[in-house]
Amino acid sequence: MKKYLCLGCGFSYDEALGLPEHGIAPGTRWADIPDDWVCPDCGTPKSGFEMVEIPYYEPARPQ
Amino acid sequence: MSVRFVLRAAERGYSRLPSVGLNASYVAGHPDGVITRHSSFNFHEYQSGIPGLGVLKVFGDEVFSPNGTGYNMHPHHNFIIMAFVLGGALTHINTIGKIDELKRDDYYVFSAGSGGKHSELNIGDQDMNAIYVWVLPGRLLAPPSYRRARFDRKANANRIACLVGDTPGALPIDQTFKVSRLASAAGRTHRWQTSRELGLYAFVLEGKADVAGTTLERRDSMALEDESAVEIAVTADGTDMLLVESRL
Repeated sequence: MKKYLCLGCGFSYDEALGLPEHGIAPGTRWADIPDDWVCPDCGTPKSGFEMVEIPYYEPARPQ
Repeated sequence: MSVRFVLRAAERGYSRLPSVGLNASYVAGHPDGVITRHSSFNFHEYQSGIPGLGVLKVFGDEVFSPNGTGYNMHPHHNFIIMAFVLGGALTHINTIGKIDELKRDDYYVFSAGSGGKHSELNIGDQDMNAIYVWVLPGRLLAPPSYRRARFDRKANANRIACLVGDTPGALPIDQTFKVSRLASAAGRTHRWQTSRELGLYAFVLEGKADVAGTTLERRDSMALEDESAVEIAVTADGTDMLLVESRL
């Protein structure tokens, strides 16, 4: 499962999570998203996304 | 030592964004308002150039015309966005709740993280010129944050001063990334101490300098890698540079 980031605005797509609110089910591979899909926030085309290997922020746990 | 590229001022991407037509909802201002943007790297519709340098993705030299021109409120995630104001006055409004005004030598770091919107406006009566820098974060969807500071031109004359990064007095960010500034008189040679693991990007705001033997003039830039130190020989009075170190 990979993550992709919109180079137009920073919106991130995570294959594991999908985008259910935009009709993309969790587990949907990037390759299976249509080529004419665009960033839901800024309209950047799919080709303007880049695969990233950046972990999620995790809040510090209280000691 | 290795030069990755030399990018002359006129070779940068150029976009002209009027406040009417297709950009009407994106660009603020009266009908004659216009943003001009010189991009060092691929950005938005400019995609025929250089795709950034490691975690550094955007380096835009932007001018907003006066009396209200700028970007209307629009969303971001994740990117760490910086603005270094070179002239005029920039009004920055963000959804963290900050309304700020920045003038020459002021700069901010806005980390969009889990989601933040901002508006960038020139409500003054002269052109506003700023360098906009976007950097990938060390972690996705962190809490958004905003910080600002000022480059103290007098205290930092003729030396390399760190503005952003892991150096006391600089604004910290969640990334292996630094922005330094060098404002220097002619005839001085500076040693830019860095690390071989980082990509280096030197941009001349004003003046003229020889960077590792390559002459750069106003708004010229170059990238180097595999360097632990770079010699910068300043050859014009009033030279002002941004020096970026970016994780590759």
